[in-house]
Amino acid sequence: MTIQKNHSTTQIEGHEKGSKEINQQIKDLIKSGQEQIQVTGCQGQHNLAVGLLSKTSILLEGSVGYYCGGLIDGPNIEIHGSAGWGLGESMMSGTIRVRGNASNSCAASIRGGTVVVHGNAAARAGISMKGGLLIIEGDCGYMTGFMMQKGVIVVCGNAASALADSMYEGCIYVAGSIQELGNDAVIEELQDSDQKFIEKNLKAWKIDPNLPFKKVISGKKLWNFDKREINLWKEAL
Amino acid sequence: MLSALARRGPDSAGLATFGTSNNSRLVLCIKLDEKENLEDQTANVLEKINVLTHVHEQLTTKEYLRLVVESVEDSDALIAQVESTAKEVELVSLGTQLEIIKQVGSPDSLERHYGIRSKSGTHAIGHTRLSTESRVDLSHSQPFWAHGVADLATAHNGHITNYHKLRRQYEQRGIRFYTENDSEIIGIYLRDQMEQGSSLEEALWASLEDFDGSFSYLAANNHCLAYVKDPFALKPLMVGESEEFVALATEEIALRKISRKPFEVWEAPAQHVQLWSVPTHTQETF
Repeated sequence: MTIQKNHSTTQIEGHEKGSKEINQQIKDLIKSGQEQIQVTGCQGQHNLAVGLLSKTSILLEGSVGYYCGGLIDGPNIEIHGSAGWGLGESMMSGTIRVRGNASNSCAASIRGGTVVVHGNAAARAGISMKGGLLIIEGDCGYMTGFMMQKGVIVVCGNAASALADSMYEGCIYVAGSIQELGNDAVIEELQDSDQKFIEKNLKAWKIDPNLPFKKVISGKKLWNFDKREINLWKEAL
Repeated sequence: MLSALARRGPDSAGLATFGTSNNSRLVLCIKLDEKENLEDQTANVLEKINVLTHVHEQLTTKEYLRLVVESVEDSDALIAQVESTAKEVELVSLGTQLEIIKQVGSPDSLERHYGIRSKSGTHAIGHTRLSTESRVDLSHSQPFWAHGVADLATAHNGHITNYHKLRRQYEQRGIRFYTENDSEIIGIYLRDQMEQGSSLEEALWASLEDFDGSFSYLAANNHCLAYVKDPFALKPLMVGESEEFVALATEEIALRKISRKPFEVWEAPAQHVQLWSVPTHTQETF
């Protein structure tokens, strides 16, 4: 799934250019039928490659700012640098691969697709995920998987405190240490199917799957109330 | 770096620089009252200071008066003497190495008026501000000097939600506040902790317990540069480090202005303090 540059790659020079200009050039190239686009000289500009709905491959050389690849549905994006807050927020499908670190809230609210961070991911990675897969080859920050509703997070390194706090559904696999589980998060025994899932998905991104993973899921006590208490809830509402 | 962040807050901009002066002398950055005659005010300040020490250099730029004076044993007396000149006269910074230059307007405007790029030193912290609650004027701009502590400055992004409570406690002890900006309390807090015997590092860690709200702040003195990130990681702070430099900024776009060479950047973790010692033998232009 690595994006390889080839003769059909079209290049955009991003150095000293603003987000709007770069994004407009990307959209114009997609409109003209380009399937592979390389943006060189990225310097942390925000909102790069957002809202793209085609299966274009986009290689971003350098670091990107906030919300890179947000709201996409289809593209394969690779970032040769680090990524700012909200990487791939609310994406529907496609892939985003970051060779460096990702800041807070990467893969926030994604509905589908895959986000791969080869470095570390900061606080609230995968917050409110509603589907999709987030792979973090390094460590993950505070409150990773907060209020997650669906999907999977795989963390090959260590997890900071409040992991999976208030999650509804989905699961988080962690290979390293867990500083502290969040509210209502519990550890469940790993099944063969989990192992197979991890192996398949990590190998696809050339990440070593032979690590001692633990599985973290919701304890379902925060939201799964007894129906006999319904009147109490109605009163509270 | 500051210009790259200017769109985040164009109200005011400032820089606290270190390492441009002689250790036996103090640099005083004084804000004069822009509505009054600046020459008269300068003469009044000099008259007051001459009672306590010798003035080696003086320079007035807009409402800013920069003085280099012979060191004094009792810097509190010097501060009081300067600020007794007039109500609006305020000592913006004092130190052997520290100089704070700030003004209403963008970082580019700061550069035009004060030629920051031509200055040299060991390290600096800067700020460009979007005012959310308090006034837009020079006093409310950042960085803040930790009033009364030579060579200690802070710059803050966020909202310290127990500011009013803490302020009331300090005011009951007779501590003066110069602004209504919650960021000012960081310097006051650090000074208070250090007066009670804490090191700067201990004071920074303690602030994680005592401040509520969202905050990423920088603190710097002659010897070190540090960041503090709140327990919930609510405000961004990017760290870039290489063999040649340490740089911190709210956004990576500012860090990438330093060099086109690759260097690793990461988000500061939640509830964390980190300090770097500053080598005093190297000086770079800002």
